[in-house]
Amino acid sequence: MGSFLKKDLLIFWRDRKEVLIALLLPIVLIVVLNTALSGMFSKDGDSIDIQVGIVEEDQALEGFEQFAESLNNLGIDEAEKEAILSQASSINPSEMLNSFFNNPEIKQVLTTRVVSEAEALELVEEGELHAFVIIPEEFTYKVLSSIILGEEVDVALSIQAEEQSTELSTLQNMMNDFIESINLEFALGSIAEGENQEPKLPQGGIEVIEGVETFSFTQYITIAMSTLFALFMAQTLAVKTVTEKRERVFNRIILTGSNPFHYLMGKTLSTFILSWLQIMFTITITQLLFDVFPDKSLEFWLGLLLVITAFALTVAGLTALFTSITLNVTDTNAASGILTLVIMSIAVVGGNFTPIQILPTFLQRIGEWTPNGMSLTVLLEWIQLSNPGNLVIPIVILLGYFLVFLVLGMAIFPGRGRN
Amino acid sequence: MLETIKLSKTFKEKKAVDEIDMYLDEGESVGLLGPNGAGKSTTISMISSLLKPSSGDVKLNGLSTIKNPSEIRKVLGVVPQEIALYEELSAYENLKFFGKIYKVKKDILEERIQEVLEMVGLKERQKELVKTFSGGMKRRVNIAAALLHKPKILILDEPTVGIDPQSRNHILETVKKLNEETGMTILYTSHYMEEVEQLCNRVYIMDHGRVVASGSKQELLSILSTEDTIQVQLSKKSDALLEAIKGMAAVRQVEDTNHGIRVISKKGSNILADLVHAAENVGTQITHFQMEDPSLEDVFLHLTGKTLRD
Repeated sequence: MGSFLKKDLLIFWRDRKEVLIALLLPIVLIVVLNTALSGMFSKDGDSIDIQVGIVEEDQALEGFEQFAESLNNLGIDEAEKEAILSQASSINPSEMLNSFFNNPEIKQVLTTRVVSEAEALELVEEGELHAFVIIPEEFTYKVLSSIILGEEVDVALSIQAEEQSTELSTLQNMMNDFIESINLEFALGSIAEGENQEPKLPQGGIEVIEGVETFSFTQYITIAMSTLFALFMAQTLAVKTVTEKRERVFNRIILTGSNPFHYLMGKTLSTFILSWLQIMFTITITQLLFDVFPDKSLEFWLGLLLVITAFALTVAGLTALFTSITLNVTDTNAASGILTLVIMSIAVVGGNFTPIQILPTFLQRIGEWTPNGMSLTVLLEWIQLSNPGNLVIPIVILLGYFLVFLVLGMAIFPGRGRN
Repeated sequence: MLETIKLSKTFKEKKAVDEIDMYLDEGESVGLLGPNGAGKSTTISMISSLLKPSSGDVKLNGLSTIKNPSEIRKVLGVVPQEIALYEELSAYENLKFFGKIYKVKKDILEERIQEVLEMVGLKERQKELVKTFSGGMKRRVNIAAALLHKPKILILDEPTVGIDPQSRNHILETVKKLNEETGMTILYTSHYMEEVEQLCNRVYIMDHGRVVASGSKQELLSILSTEDTIQVQLSKKSDALLEAIKGMAAVRQVEDTNHGIRVISKKGSNILADLVHAAENVGTQITHFQMEDPSLEDVFLHLTGKTLRD
């Protein structure tokens, strides 16, 4: 297998035109597109101005009193009651939310105003507000009951809007982050106090909108072009098989009695190495040129590396499948045409040419399941949220794709060369 | 050592090879002759296990190779008609790659590469990329790649097509040496009768997918032992003369050649006087004539009705 790998890498390296295209063209395209089209995207979050209405149906003071009364029914002694009330007084859910909205960083992108629900509906309809957040009745009481007493309560902050928008998605994500941070804070407090039960700030009822475009155009185009050219690498390596077939080198290989698996694995591994290097080269150079991912942590880079590795493996699997298809098709030009068609199709629906969000819904669904679309989506989410949990399933699916493609490639590999 | 038994291949409706029976004894050098489209390459592909026969069998030492091609692949070296090499690699890199996948042992591979390069006369240019080589040099590397694993049988499919005389001579000498000095069994296909005459002990002649004749050179020539071949030169060419000669009872075949006409007639029919008369009758003259011994080319023409280049 090492001989095949070495041969494939050497042949690729000797084709200087191919090497230049693979390494320089994505970077040139990123530079050109970034210069020409960056205005099409909202550049980072700071240019967004989200108008949000706050509908406060909760009465914090009454909620606290209601909570104090509920303690009477628990049959606990006064000392313990005093301790609980003291803890409760330090928690004011509505106030925490207000503090969150008034945080200077949040205020850079979010403008809030307190309104009634009727007013909010009207303003949303008129387009004055992007959305409004309802803090429901008994919010304080129920949150305290949940956090301090661990009771099961039915309460939720809700976000309402007229239509789906980037602003709405951003708001939803900000609210999610807020609730997660509060939950974490209370969970840590709970552990410190030696309690067993993990308190939860109730959540739910938020309008579900996925996919937030808070990444920059440069970030999008860097990832889109890197993954696109990695896909082309699968085609390039598979098309080398066309040459091997046309020039009868493949027949000579068959006659040596070599294991077809070694031939296929040579193609697969060389594609993996080349596509991985190509993506890393593109990202490294664009990072040096544009500082595409500013101030990112080591964890971010490791996550990026993991996804790129999984994607490069999937591309390698595609090469195995493409190679076998090429060997099975009599007309080598037709084989080359089929590969181009497949690559271009998955590149379009996977969002390599335009963000997937602008495609019709059914194409978005398909695109999200293409290897490139999945990698692109997960990397853009990673840029925004940096939540390691979000990486696991896509990486597992990409590895699954790799195995499926490889097994399919082996299954249809034309055995001993006889036909 | 190697035999084909009623070997046939049909592509869609067309029968490319039709029940061919052939054999190669150990150490023999056998020629396979035939015009374009005769089925030579298809036969070779089936023998070398690249193509599955529609029917029939290929046996190596009595064992069928159809279901288990690995046995024949171990002992077979195939030099395809096309240059089956990586153009972007050097001659040395190509040989090293093929040597490795032929599983030539690491400790003798280097020595073996140098041996085959010496054999084909390219030792000095081994580091150069194949794409920079002339057609003849490429064909020599093409042969070298088939010799790396010291095959017992070497099949060469028109290895001298489109190359310069120097490379052609080198290739012929190499093949002759391999057969005579190492006892390698050779199956050699060619368009060039003189190559086959020079290299081969026995010849199979194929046409329209069938073997139309086989045997040693003498056996094949004896096919024409009942005929005389007369090469005639004329003062001027005449279609009417051709027609007149065709009409003679003793004449079996007439061929228009560059220099005149070639007449194949029944042995001892003494048609020379008739030819002179016929020429005078159509207003031309015989300027020169020669009685020829029949060649394999004549045999081929006799059997297939066409020349090898047709």
